[in-house]
Amino acid sequence: MADNSPKKDITFFHPDLLDISADGQACLKGYRCKSCGQLDFPKLSPCPNCWGEEFEVVPLSKTGRLYSVTDIFIAPAGMATPYSFGYVDLPENLRIFAQLEGPPGSFKCDDEVELTTGTIRMNRDGLPITSYKFKKTN
Amino acid sequence: MKLQREVYIAGVGETKFGKHELNYDALGRIAALQALRDSNINRPNVVQSAYVANATNGLVTGQTVLKDLGMCGHMPIINVESACSAGGMAVHMAIRDVATGFAEVSLGIGCENHTLELQAGTTFKPSISDIEGMQGSVMTGKYALRAQRYMYETGATIEDLAMITVKNRRHATNNPFAWFKGEISVEQVIGSRMVASPLTLQQCCGIADGAGAVVVCSAEMVKKLGIEKPIRVAGTVVQSGPYHNRPRDITGDDITETTSEQLYHESGIGPEDIDIVELHDAFTISELLYYECMGLCAKGEGLKYLRDGNATYGGKCVVSPRGGMLSYGHPIGASGAAQIAANVKQMRGQCPGYQVDPIPRVAVSHVTGGGLAGTEHAACTMHMLVSDW
Repeated sequence: MADNSPKKDITFFHPDLLDISADGQACLKGYRCKSCGQLDFPKLSPCPNCWGEEFEVVPLSKTGRLYSVTDIFIAPAGMATPYSFGYVDLPENLRIFAQLEGPPGSFKCDDEVELTTGTIRMNRDGLPITSYKFKKTN
Repeated sequence: MKLQREVYIAGVGETKFGKHELNYDALGRIAALQALRDSNINRPNVVQSAYVANATNGLVTGQTVLKDLGMCGHMPIINVESACSAGGMAVHMAIRDVATGFAEVSLGIGCENHTLELQAGTTFKPSISDIEGMQGSVMTGKYALRAQRYMYETGATIEDLAMITVKNRRHATNNPFAWFKGEISVEQVIGSRMVASPLTLQQCCGIADGAGAVVVCSAEMVKKLGIEKPIRVAGTVVQSGPYHNRPRDITGDDITETTSEQLYHESGIGPEDIDIVELHDAFTISELLYYECMGLCAKGEGLKYLRDGNATYGGKCVVSPRGGMLSYGHPIGASGAAQIAANVKQMRGQCPGYQVDPIPRVAVSHVTGGGLAGTEHAACTMHMLVSDW
């Protein structure tokens, strides 16, 4: 008999984006194309530069600079408002769009931020989805 | 695209924008019928192709709009979706058909009803394959990021941004097609509910319903139809948004810059010659940035351009003379076509109470579209119109 039970929604976003080690340390995964050397985040396959399909996974820097930031007060379903997001520029010449951990109003452009993990939204089953976030460097 | 032969706009139509009980197809028919009658077309078999823009109302929307006008069964009807750029894109395709000789008369329509389906105070749902959407991105927030960086780098304030709303609502005061119009103070704009800092509610275009339609034809058909004030299409450009995942300046807008340059090159008309512009003022910050991106002023001088009165009636180039999206609201598939309808009416001197004086001879319209992750916009469509009579 076919399984018609509703499929469970995800609670982690996403193994291609980050690793979390047993001791809770998170790391964003960069992808370096083995044929042309271009480094991308998130994973783009094939490589948009040369269409290569083999990649070396490169751990990305854990700290970066907040290029811009905003606090959101009207949001899609599954998001608790207010929350903040921004663009984080990493030394690898990559820009990461990320939610920020910390009170809205507490971030400004060019703040130094570091990688963390936390709940980015609730899924369809009402459970938290964990992924990367950034917070102010201590 | 270089036009292979002369293409003209014969007639236009638009509905009032706002909250409508009529669905998108009925709105589309109202605008289409107006545009057809404005073109002296009084029967269904003159038009040879149609492009119908809609973003959210479902499948085969074009056929749904046109079947009750007796227009199905003897011409191709092609449905166009590219979020907020769709309406401009539909007109672009109609122009292409005439430019290449595929059709002598073609019709571009944009129509959308959001409010029958979308609740106020909500946003469009992100796709689960969109990484920024999963991280909580919303369109207002992406513009807010541009605003925050612009303010940080230039010292501009939220009060400065609010002046865009004040200007555009004032422009719309006597425009019967606009929704939000008339006097509003800077204090009222910045005192309204915060949506995505620094963008307050009155700095955001409303979620609205409406339609616009444009009949495009060849020089020969202008004569046959007896069009007294044909508007010539001097240029039409559609561009797709480049993908980025590296640091770059977001106080500019690469796709608008590229599309403008291409439009100026193809039409042979530069920004200094433009009399009026309807641009994608979905949020206050965008109009300010686009003054610079379109070359209406130098980079970094957008705020001065606004403060000096260059973007209003009597200024160098009247930006958003109809009131823009900040006054009309933004039914995303409709806006691009409605902008063109409004520009044509300005150039024909058909805007009592909001007519630009002297009557404009060169008009530009501009719609970007889509908040795809990694792009500033997924699409950009621009048109350059001139009157030669």
